[in-house]
Amino acid sequence: MEMKTASVISAGLHAAVLVWAMVSFSGKTLEAMPTDSLPVDMISEKDFTQLTKGSKDAPKSAVTKPLVEKVADTQKVVEDTKPKVSDKPEIKATAEKPPEPPPTPEAKPIEKKADSKPPAPEKPPQQMAQAKADPIADKIKKEEKQEAKAESKPLPPKKPPQKKEPQFDARKIAALLDQRDPQRNATLGAELNPNASLGSVKGEAAQLSQSEFDALLARLRQCWNPPVGATNSDNLFVVFRVLFKRDGSVMQTPVLVQAPPSQFGPALAESAKRALLQCQPYTMLKPEHYEEWRDMEIKFDPREMLGG
Amino acid sequence: MNHFNSFRTFDSLGITRRQLIAGAGLGAGALALGANPAGAVLRLDITQGNPQPMPIALPDFLPGTPGEAEIAHNVTGVITNNLQRSGLFAPINPQAFVEKITNTDAVPRFADWRVINAQALVTGRMTRQGDGRLKAEFRLWDVYAGQQLDGKQYFTTPDNWRRIAHIISDAIYERLTGEKGYFDSRIVFVDETGPKERRVKRLAIMDQDGAGVRYLTRGDDLVLTPRFNPSTQEITYMSYGQGDPRVYLLNIETGQRETVGNFPGMTFAPRFSPDGQRVIMSLQQGGNANLFVMDLRSKQTTRLTDTPAIDTAPCYSPDGTRICFESDRGGTQQIYVMPATGGQAQRISFGEGHHSTPVWSPRGDYIAFTGQAQGMFSIGILKPDGSGERILTQGFHNEGPTFAPNGRVIMFFRDIGAGPNLFTIDVTGRNELKEPTPSFASDPAWSPLLS
Repeated sequence: MEMKTASVISAGLHAAVLVWAMVSFSGKTLEAMPTDSLPVDMISEKDFTQLTKGSKDAPKSAVTKPLVEKVADTQKVVEDTKPKVSDKPEIKATAEKPPEPPPTPEAKPIEKKADSKPPAPEKPPQQMAQAKADPIADKIKKEEKQEAKAESKPLPPKKPPQKKEPQFDARKIAALLDQRDPQRNATLGAELNPNASLGSVKGEAAQLSQSEFDALLARLRQCWNPPVGATNSDNLFVVFRVLFKRDGSVMQTPVLVQAPPSQFGPALAESAKRALLQCQPYTMLKPEHYEEWRDMEIKFDPREMLGG
Repeated sequence: MNHFNSFRTFDSLGITRRQLIAGAGLGAGALALGANPAGAVLRLDITQGNPQPMPIALPDFLPGTPGEAEIAHNVTGVITNNLQRSGLFAPINPQAFVEKITNTDAVPRFADWRVINAQALVTGRMTRQGDGRLKAEFRLWDVYAGQQLDGKQYFTTPDNWRRIAHIISDAIYERLTGEKGYFDSRIVFVDETGPKERRVKRLAIMDQDGAGVRYLTRGDDLVLTPRFNPSTQEITYMSYGQGDPRVYLLNIETGQRETVGNFPGMTFAPRFSPDGQRVIMSLQQGGNANLFVMDLRSKQTTRLTDTPAIDTAPCYSPDGTRICFESDRGGTQQIYVMPATGGQAQRISFGEGHHSTPVWSPRGDYIAFTGQAQGMFSIGILKPDGSGERILTQGFHNEGPTFAPNGRVIMFFRDIGAGPNLFTIDVTGRNELKEPTPSFASDPAWSPLLS
């Protein structure tokens, strides 16, 4: 092949490659992280009232057990309801009372209201006397007594006020008080609640635990003092970008990302910035999750305070 | 044939072109994977706050020249009082201050102010100039952000120090809340003295914080319901002399008084239109009352309503296009809105009880009224379309609401036995305060801002 022809072909091919490159290569488009979306059902008011109204002849549903976070340990339940009573003689005295015939509790409630107090402290001692601690049996008995009480009310008050209502002794209150130590427990029950309390089905949010998140939200809510004018207007909100240091303090002044074009904009933005700066350090954020919370966009929107 | 040599070199290495390109492709892919994707930013939504009065530190203004120490102290006192009475600020006790401000041009030590939880700080100085004028300057600092938010200078005569204090209070209020202030305004009211059977009623005017009371009439005649002109320093009021009630127009600055007219059976003084050129009033004819508009210069009257009912207490909207008034055409006193030139009136008050004496807020967003239900009198507000009706205060007597120039505070009067007194309340229903007056007072009217 001749040099000239070869050069021409070579140049032509090079040019073709370059043109093809210009036309076909494209930059990678920036993808936004798919945001979590919550499924929302729109129903009209008519439907809503129908829903909540129900219908009168619908079959009665079984009593549902509460959905809880922690399944109950049945043994533990029994133990807990065994109250420690310090007043032993009280129990002995009332131990004879349980096999009472029904008319006696009936007669008592007939008295004027002032006497309704003695039956009340009487019931708990009676409960305690049954140290078998069968809470359900107690409940049934209580219900029976209450029914008896309700039935006896229409009876004419002419019946002679029968005898010994036990004197209401204020000192014996101590026996009625719960002697257990104060403690916090998750609600115990039979069935675990399948719904997550917060968050969406996909759960692509950061690994921050809910409690850290909630604690931060609560802290900021408590610190933020929005200007009154902004709470009366609609659709006003500000968004700040905040960078945190590992110890929970703010690295630098929060940067305003978005603010409304309203006369209240500066005041609202300043109140949000003040809240962020004043309430640091945010010690509820765990250093182990630092990578997740070091960079946040926080939106301050007083929409839940409208008309306040 | 040199350009063929390169290919031959690759061939001699044992790498084909295909392998080379594939290797390059893999390398590029590895590079792409290795790069960090743009990290997703955590998003947080705060939808509720904790509205509290803002703690603000107001150290005494510095005297620029030694003789100004007292004025400086007084000015600080007036500003502190204004901000506190607004209910939106909580001035911090000066005894808690850590840093002593000695130079208003220097940046304060913010750490000292953060320690006492001050969110804002005001420093200022009063200096007497060579020509006898007083220079007042102030700086407003954001303690937590560590920067100055506002700073202004004013020149005035020394005896105008109260107005300067009010103007500075307005500037601070506006910068921190976003709303225009209302401190540089005055209240005109009916001052009542003497025993109940022989009350002496005089027209009086004072600053909105109760200072500088000045009497405008002598007390020979009964005076009622003063109203402010929104554009000039004039008021109208009703005076019961010997005969029929007359409506007077009084210029506060000059003291000049002129009669607007002789109106038998009138119960409320006329109100001004927003441009100050016309007044609207209700005139009684026989058993009913109707609305009329009178041009102040030409004294020409135009009838607006013609119903066999009592239409009274009319009030213009701030843009002058509509009026609200009270009418019993539906059976009970209720509030109606009508175009300012007349036309179809529309009822807007549908809450419980009677609604009377409507007043339109200068911001146009609310109408205040006197409500009467179940034997109690209340002051309430509702939106001009009738929605959002809210009772602000309730009692055995509350009457005569009037709005502050920024539409955030309402003043009214209440008589619980001994005599009537003036009270102010915020539009949200909070912060009800008694207005200090020298004696009993009724029928307040709030002036527009003086500046």
